[in-house]
Amino acid sequence: MKPVTINFRSKAAQTLADAQIQQSIEHVYTGFFKGRLLAAAETDNWEDLRTKGKAIKDHTIAHLDYYLGMLADSVEKNGGRVFFAADAAEARQYIIDLAHKRNIKTVIKSKSMVSEEMGLAEAMNTEGFETVETDLGEYIIQLANETPYHLIAPAVHKSRSDVAKLLDDDYKDGDRIPDATELTMMARKKLRGVFERADMSVTGVNFAVAESGSIALVTNEGNGRMSTTVPRVHVAVMGMEKIIPSIQDLSTMLRILIRSATGQRISTYVTMVNGSRKFDEEEGPEEFHLVIMDNGRQKLLEDPQMRESLNCIRCGACLNACPVYRKVGGHAYGWVYPGPIGAIVSPVMTGVKDASNLPSASSLCGACHDACPVKINIPRMLLELRWRTAEGSTDKDERTSSAKERGIWKAWRVGMMGRKRFDIGSRLANLAMRPLAKNGWLKKAPPPISGWTSTRDFPTISARSLKSKLSKRSKGGK
Amino acid sequence: MADRAKFLAAVTASLGRTVVLVPNPDSATAGFDDGVLAKSNAEMAMADANTRSRELVDQMADAAATAGWKVHRACNPETASDLVASICEEKKASSVLRSKHEVLDQIGIESAVTSTGATLGITEHFGDNSSALVDNSKSSAFSADIGITGVDYAIAETGTIVLHPRSGLSRLISLAPPTHIAVLRHGEVLDSLDELFAMERSDFMSGKLAGSMNLISGPSKTADIEGTTVTGIHGPLEVHLIILDHG
Repeated sequence: MKPVTINFRSKAAQTLADAQIQQSIEHVYTGFFKGRLLAAAETDNWEDLRTKGKAIKDHTIAHLDYYLGMLADSVEKNGGRVFFAADAAEARQYIIDLAHKRNIKTVIKSKSMVSEEMGLAEAMNTEGFETVETDLGEYIIQLANETPYHLIAPAVHKSRSDVAKLLDDDYKDGDRIPDATELTMMARKKLRGVFERADMSVTGVNFAVAESGSIALVTNEGNGRMSTTVPRVHVAVMGMEKIIPSIQDLSTMLRILIRSATGQRISTYVTMVNGSRKFDEEEGPEEFHLVIMDNGRQKLLEDPQMRESLNCIRCGACLNACPVYRKVGGHAYGWVYPGPIGAIVSPVMTGVKDASNLPSASSLCGACHDACPVKINIPRMLLELRWRTAEGSTDKDERTSSAKERGIWKAWRVGMMGRKRFDIGSRLANLAMRPLAKNGWLKKAPPPISGWTSTRDFPTISARSLKSKLSKRSKGGK
Repeated sequence: MADRAKFLAAVTASLGRTVVLVPNPDSATAGFDDGVLAKSNAEMAMADANTRSRELVDQMADAAATAGWKVHRACNPETASDLVASICEEKKASSVLRSKHEVLDQIGIESAVTSTGATLGITEHFGDNSSALVDNSKSSAFSADIGITGVDYAIAETGTIVLHPRSGLSRLISLAPPTHIAVLRHGEVLDSLDELFAMERSDFMSGKLAGSMNLISGPSKTADIEGTTVTGIHGPLEVHLIILDHG
């Protein structure tokens, strides 16, 4: 997927003005956010679980080369094939070539953000394979020709009438809007036929177990199970960070992932795949392929300030907790990963220059850090990226501030550093503002201050400093 | 292999090293024991499942109801058999599929189902995976009204049943039909996910890991349309858990 992070401001403004979307995305707060809080409250050792989850991920990422080698060996030992892809294009090509070689006609996709990085469904359809998303939310998004709005609820911004228009060709505005059950049953009927004829599946990976070569898939709908049961070829795709050492680490990771994602104790289905089907099994794929993709993750790994972002298990809790995401919506972030986690990984993975607005799309309230099941300190990294774009970097592609902007702040710093300079500066600012002010307030001002005054008033800077006022007062003056 | 070597070397370099560092045993992960601990954990889990069976079954019943199972307690095999028959009647089932789980014979599944006029089938290829056979059993699973299985384990913490697909246990019969019935016995309930994965690790260490494993906790569901939870998007709309308390 081509990043369009540069459009953050315009896309955000568009969403803010859309009353229907504003209402629809409220669910991430009332449903997911509150659900997570309840689930955490009913779990006695919740904080211990988060600490343990963080320790497992810290350890694994610190030895990522070792565990990736182990994973590849284990998968091959189980009879599967492993493909290491440096970027999305390589991964996509491997899957397309495989589909051609195996004479595939119909591909079913189970939800995978990594495959969104590849733009896989679109590319495979173009190649002539019938490629259908099977997670209901993803299916709706595919029919609408859009990108996912949320990590676990891709169609959270769509209303029932939007969905009805997509699922039912005969539906017109003004018709009775079907309820969620009717719409879901329409989708079930349509997708059943696709499942029955599918001969290849592409799924994501929630956790890959290095030691045993197993992958774990977490779904509520059952599309993950269909995808690992019916087609004769199964391809699982993963970002190289989605790995844990042992099967026994899974209990901790599943507990924190699922509670943080939906507030459930467990999802309806957790499917463990240890390769293709065994000879005496009744069904299951004849071939299993695991595609392990980098696509910019090494930039996060080699950067000591940003490495922690690879601990992410993609639960979406930081999105639900974020007051900015809940207003500007998922499409504003301009790439696969929206919300606070997107604001730190997208700039590094796709280029800071275009994405320089993303780290600023935060009030630094810390809700994402509190919500994260593996305690990723997102606000720290947002500040780090802001610093780099402002002045911290010498790389022109990273430092996006203009010479003028840096000059203004340099002058500001110099002005703030001496008593006399400060007093003269305040005096000058007061003189400059006076002609525009009314009763001590600026209601309208020329740029760049208009950015402030277009939505609120600005107080005139006082001619006298607090210090001089106080010293006069202590001498009996006013 | 060249791709792999290049890829992994780049990862090593990103970590600021020139050679792969073998991690020290770390308390963070369970991956470092030589299998002895895994084996004793697994034995303890099984012993626990037996000695605390009554308590764990009660916990399972509660957690399963929370997860969306319709939970039934049967005090003897005849009651379990009657329950199966009444579900078949209620669903007006004409085609029912079963797994090879022994407990189903114990409750007399054959007569329970056929007495309602439905047919009872079993998917078993005995390792013959010719495509005609597989296609045939696929279409019978997709057109069946009810699938009935036992359980390999259950998990009291989450209300989960665990199935290891194998000969005589199709993956599809608990997935494709609109109704799934699972029959559970005492001694099959583990305390938590920790015990399940301890047993899995023990199996892995001794080379007995199955091809796949399914954890099932309630009916298939989605909340992708306006956040409203609807059951039965791809898998069963309705799932019944029959707990056989004696026999």
